Amino acid sequence: MMALIEKLPADFLPSFLAGMAVNFEIAVISIVVGLALGALLAFGRLVGGALGGLAASVIALMRAAPTFVVMFFLLNAIPRDAELFGMPFALSGVMTVALSLVPYSAAYVADAAVDALRHLRGGTTLAALLFLPNVMRAFFVLVMSSSAGAAIGVTEGVTVILRQAEKLPALDDRLVLFAIGIVMFGIPLQLAFVLISFIQKRLSRAAVRAPAAGTPQSGT
Amino acid sequence: MCTSSRSARLARSTDVPRVRCLVRALVGTVAGALIAIGLVLSGAQAQVAGSPDAALERLLDAAREGMPGTCAQADADRLIRILCAKRIRIGVRDYYPLFGTRTGDKREGYEIDVGMAIGRMLGVQVEFVRVNAATRIPLLAEDRIDLVIATMGHNTQRDNQVRFIRPHYYQSETVVVGRRDLPVANMTDLPGRTVCVTVGNGSNAQLVSQGARLMLFDEAGVLPDRLKDGTCSLAAQDDSFFANYFKEPDFSAAFFPKFGFAQVPWGMAVARQGSEQLARAIDLIVQVFHRDGLFIDIARFHRVESAFLQVQQRVWRKPECNVDTGSTNPSCILPPLDAALKPTSFAPEVTAVESWAAKEAGIDLTLPMLKTAPAWSMFQEGVLNSLILIAGALIATFVLAVLFGAAMAARTILVRWPARTVTVVLQSSPIVLTLVIAAAIAHGMFPYSGTVALGAAIAALGLANGCNAGQALAEAVWSLRAEQGTEMARGTAPGVLRGGGLFARALGRSATQIVAFLINAAKGTPIASFIGAPELLSSLTDITSFASGRATTYSLLLVFYTVVVIIVVWLCGKLRIYLENRQARIEAGKVTA
Repeated sequence: MMALIEKLPADFLPSFLAGMAVNFEIAVISIVVGLALGALLAFGRLVGGALGGLAASVIALMRAAPTFVVMFFLLNAIPRDAELFGMPFALSGVMTVALSLVPYSAAYVADAAVDALRHLRGGTTLAALLFLPNVMRAFFVLVMSSSAGAAIGVTEGVTVILRQAEKLPALDDRLVLFAIGIVMFGIPLQLAFVLISFIQKRLSRAAVRAPAAGTPQSGT
Repeated sequence: MCTSSRSARLARSTDVPRVRCLVRALVGTVAGALIAIGLVLSGAQAQVAGSPDAALERLLDAAREGMPGTCAQADADRLIRILCAKRIRIGVRDYYPLFGTRTGDKREGYEIDVGMAIGRMLGVQVEFVRVNAATRIPLLAEDRIDLVIATMGHNTQRDNQVRFIRPHYYQSETVVVGRRDLPVANMTDLPGRTVCVTVGNGSNAQLVSQGARLMLFDEAGVLPDRLKDGTCSLAAQDDSFFANYFKEPDFSAAFFPKFGFAQVPWGMAVARQGSEQLARAIDLIVQVFHRDGLFIDIARFHRVESAFLQVQQRVWRKPECNVDTGSTNPSCILPPLDAALKPTSFAPEVTAVESWAAKEAGIDLTLPMLKTAPAWSMFQEGVLNSLILIAGALIATFVLAVLFGAAMAARTILVRWPARTVTVVLQSSPIVLTLVIAAAIAHGMFPYSGTVALGAAIAALGLANGCNAGQALAEAVWSLRAEQGTEMARGTAPGVLRGGGLFARALGRSATQIVAFLINAAKGTPIASFIGAPELLSSLTDITSFASGRATTYSLLLVFYTVVVIIVVWLCGKLRIYLENRQARIEAGKVTA
């Protein structure tokens, strides 16, 4: 372990932390866009009728679209000189990954928002507030899923680890490096889950049998 | 000082700075004398009937004869249109050091100067248009450029798409470049490794056939930067491209050309339709340029390797080649690289469908995976492997969910805590990292193969999703135990469930979460391409690296995976209903534990 740490370049930790910042940046973009789109879809579903059916279909499609494939679709199907409303629409690597996570985040937000709005209508405000920890959970799922950017050369946390690993000839050293990466990703994630659990317990105690939104899946 | 015919011609045609011209004139007294003799000879040759010079003159005279009347003709050859407009549109690279670069409005490089020289020979202005490896052929077909001079290798595959100018104006080979300490020496070291390439490069198919994974880029110019920042550990591109970078001490100290392959002559090209006279004119111009050594002069000026050009000069000075029919003489011209892919038996029908879609619906549908035998084979293999991967990931997730659930529900902490620790570790690992770890361990145990990569991907996806589903299952077991304890304390327990009965009921209780993670496992399968599993995303990326139609291909890929996941969601819904109904029956006492 110490031998490996000695082998790591001095700029490894700053590079890794900068990479993790990119993971968080991607997750922030995805959740913000997902919240906007998800809220619209949730209202659409609650309106019912044809609009509700359309919103439900869009949510189902978004839920089924694999992030990794969406990412490659955005990367390859959008021409480099594409324009949107007369403005250039060339996506950066970070934006490509962030937008590829939007179908997941929007579908998740829509589901959670529908639950929350139904609780609000039913008068169970505290149960509706479970929307917040659920969104927070989705955010951390997005942080972890943003590592898909490694496949298209985005310099996020996992990319930094993989680039360093490639320079290590011994499998043992590489596995130790991967373990360091897991610890670095694990610390904020597990802390977040503890916080979410704490918030949910407090809200659950306050709300009588307030059900949570569906189980979050990773955005892959 | 710069008044020798040769130097004057070069200065006129290539905008060579006068300072360089002067230096060259001073240090090249002897060479200048030889050049003067050569020019006298070449001038004399120009007078000879049957020489390429005379043929070019006749061709241009004939084209100008009907002007301006012929300018308005819809079916006029592009040569006439160029002469009428007094302008030729030439597609060139924007960022291909030594050959074609652009800084602001200023373009420079070997191909730029060759383009300027052609413009001067035709007596027209040159308008350069930016092209890249993927757009240079479509732009010709769409009549947005007249001629392409853009580092394009001449292969038999492209012969069907454009009319190549003969003779060729350069020759290169593809070289694989990587860090000096990277243990790669030849093609056999490539399986499992990612090689950064440009879309449309003719040698991509060869890399794919050797088991390399490809990361695609639109422009070659970004490859050195991606090597430097570590995005790419290996990059494949023409040696001519990397030549400039290896002149930089820093780049040369860090990187090394590991090996070369796929020698290919470079050709200028014009559209296949409506460019017969233009093609003929440029054939003759290029022939003259070779004979007179203009290509060598321009290459030396831009510090481009000129060994091939010197060989070509000798060829085109031969009497049998230095004639107006030289460009069709097989002993003078080079054959194209044989890269023609065997078409599928139904390729004509596919082409007909593409044409129909374009004509009737205005849809630019391109289906490269159906048109050539290797692409079709890779496509079928990709679909099959994707289905195997999805089925494997679902089974692995369910089996591991049960195992993790049982372990985390165990009453002894010797089983429970290790399982919880593994779960926390797996939850903390981004899925890409989990896949890479699984692949590293698998490749440490077995030699690299697509099957090993598939197996590693199934294990990684199963572990990542199975541990979460198992946690939900264990929580259901513990909640059932707690409920039973409460009921027993109240004396209202109908009976105590243990072992399999308890577990079956817990499965029903946690069905929603288990199904959610099964769906997630199915959705995650395309990530397996990251570790080289030969599934559909991987196959289509390989196909599009040497064929056109990226937009259609990736759209179809998205549809394929979305439909497959919808089917998995439907099947998992059935499973959830079955498990929940089973739980309901157990609770109703219809099923004996």
